[in-house]
Amino acid sequence: MHTIWLIPALFVYALAAAGFVAGRLGANGWPARAAVPLLAAGAALQSIDLLVRGVQAGNIPVTDFAQSLIFLAWLTALLALYLIVRFGMPVVGAFAGPLVFLAVAIAAVMARPGRIVMPTALRSAWLPVHVTLALLGYALFVLAAGVSVVYLVYEKRLKAKRPLDAGDERAPSLEKLDRVNYQLLGIGFLMLSLAIVTGAIWADATWGHYWSWEPQETWSLAIWILYAALLESRLAAGWRGRRAAALTIAVFTVLVGSFVGVSLIAPGKHGGNFG
Amino acid sequence: MRETVVILGVNHRTAPVAVRERLAYAEHDASAALERLRQAAPALGEAALVSTCNRVEVIGVAADAERAWAETVAFLARDRGIAADAFAPALYRYRERDAVRHLFRVGASLDSLVVGEPQILGQLKNAYAQAAEIGTAGLVLHRAFHKAFAVAKRVRKTTLIGRGSVSVASAAVNLANKIFDTLADKTVLLMGAGAMAELTARNLQRIGVRSLIVTSRTFDHAVALARELGGTAAPFDDFRPYLRLADVVIGSLAAPRTVIGPEEFEGVIRERRYRPALLIDLGVPRNFDARLNQLENVYLYDIDDLSGVVAESREEREREAAKAETIVESEVGSFLRWLNGLELVPAIKDIRSSVEQLRDFELLRHRAWLATLEPAERERIEGLTRGLVNKILHRILSGLREGGAEAPNGIYAAEIARRLLAPDSAADGLLDDQADDGDDEP
Repeated sequence: MHTIWLIPALFVYALAAAGFVAGRLGANGWPARAAVPLLAAGAALQSIDLLVRGVQAGNIPVTDFAQSLIFLAWLTALLALYLIVRFGMPVVGAFAGPLVFLAVAIAAVMARPGRIVMPTALRSAWLPVHVTLALLGYALFVLAAGVSVVYLVYEKRLKAKRPLDAGDERAPSLEKLDRVNYQLLGIGFLMLSLAIVTGAIWADATWGHYWSWEPQETWSLAIWILYAALLESRLAAGWRGRRAAALTIAVFTVLVGSFVGVSLIAPGKHGGNFG
Repeated sequence: MRETVVILGVNHRTAPVAVRERLAYAEHDASAALERLRQAAPALGEAALVSTCNRVEVIGVAADAERAWAETVAFLARDRGIAADAFAPALYRYRERDAVRHLFRVGASLDSLVVGEPQILGQLKNAYAQAAEIGTAGLVLHRAFHKAFAVAKRVRKTTLIGRGSVSVASAAVNLANKIFDTLADKTVLLMGAGAMAELTARNLQRIGVRSLIVTSRTFDHAVALARELGGTAAPFDDFRPYLRLADVVIGSLAAPRTVIGPEEFEGVIRERRYRPALLIDLGVPRNFDARLNQLENVYLYDIDDLSGVVAESREEREREAAKAETIVESEVGSFLRWLNGLELVPAIKDIRSSVEQLRDFELLRHRAWLATLEPAERERIEGLTRGLVNKILHRILSGLREGGAEAPNGIYAAEIARRLLAPDSAADGLLDDQADDGDDEP
């Protein structure tokens, strides 16, 4: 379920996404220039939706896949805004805008009608901490993968002696994209680690054991190892640039697979089955 | 005759460098030259002198353009010690709309050798500052130059005329900016001492490169160039260890075959821990093997690649120039409307004083009777006449100002109005008589 605020948010996200993409294609009109404020407006509208549902549920509203997806989209939008403004990288909007729109659209379609009742097992102060850390990590990985795609596109064009994109001279340098990718991965990895630790502590408090090898736990561990290896390859072997970007995307596809697959096919406790 | 903007000059299109260099003024002499021009060309009411390597122009304001041009040509010939015949055929002369348009086009860098290059605006600002300091810039030139600067700003803001690289050296710099976030911690290896390679190295230093290594077949050349550029020299026989340090390698060696191949550079990449490397090959025949471009995090641009980038930028600038011309044209129109409105000012002043004078005269004629009235009644009558005068003036003047846009009609209309309302000698006489009579009345 979602509130009436989600539909305007979706609409505004669509405009923002179109604006960002148009900007990359060389458009100079108002949609391109309004893209950043539109993305911010979309995130603001979505905040209201989250807040209202959070108050209704009495906790952070993440009890099913659709809700988690909405929360993830919101975090991604906020982080994308930060990257765009702080690092002067409007190109981030060109992938983050459409992704956020798509995620919210899918979630809006999938949302189960009716009021969601928060299971007793989840009524814990650990829930917002654990879930926010995990989804923040995911959002950072989304952006890292997106920045990596931009890196690969730019590097291919540079090798082919073509302009990077329509805003060629203001396009971020490869070095900057590589560095931002590394930072996103580093912070994302930290968030994922903390999410696993807090999840274990919470599980111990609730069920008496830290780890039960349920699907989400297993996959999270696998992904944690993959990102650890990715960071290690940069630190130890100095893999950067093209290779680092390609690996970031590869690991991210595994992450997407586990996020969607575990939630929809083998949810376990993380899907809301708390028997 | 009406005062208007006049321009006379030569530029890179009309005159060869042999002529331009003889006409051009050194920067330190330009102010003094303008002072001398003021003495030598009285027909120029206002004047500014623009002198760059691509143009020498006198921008002025004159009522008699032909005379102003003749005086300016004579001055240039005398002042620069060059026969007028030697440069007269290369001169262009503009007046009114054409002159204003030319000034705006120059400021917007539409008349430059490289369209969109930014230096000309600074040079134009210098010329204006000199004229303002000496006092040869008056009402019209002040406005014309400020407008030219505003037009240039608008063109730069709304078109992409200044974008892209228009020289091989600047193309190399732009490439470095696409790969590296900062150049401050990067090292450049300059192989060979060609002029273009040196210029490229200097451009890279300008955007932040601090560490520069120079190597050349003749070690003395490397040492000399390294000293000049503030870098270090490396022996050519042993340059390979330096490849590992270099983030940008510029090749301009006169070598029969390539000096760096992909096999050896693969090792360099690993030693560099995959940090990106930009290879700029200015050599013909090429210094670097073309297959280097396929290596991971290596970007190889040869002279043709760079020339291709330059050609594309120039084409784009030409396209943007068309948009800029439209902007210039509309601004020229608005400037001329102001200028023509300015010419109405004396006529408007006369008309106003004529009508005011009529009112004063009527009040004077009746002052004996007015003196018998209560002060409040007197004030009402004064107010009534003032109101009447203002209404009549408002109709005439606003009509003229609107018409002023369509010079010369506006000026003729103003002239007719001025003559019709001018106090004639009869009225003047009457005023005097009546004034005398009034005094005599008891």
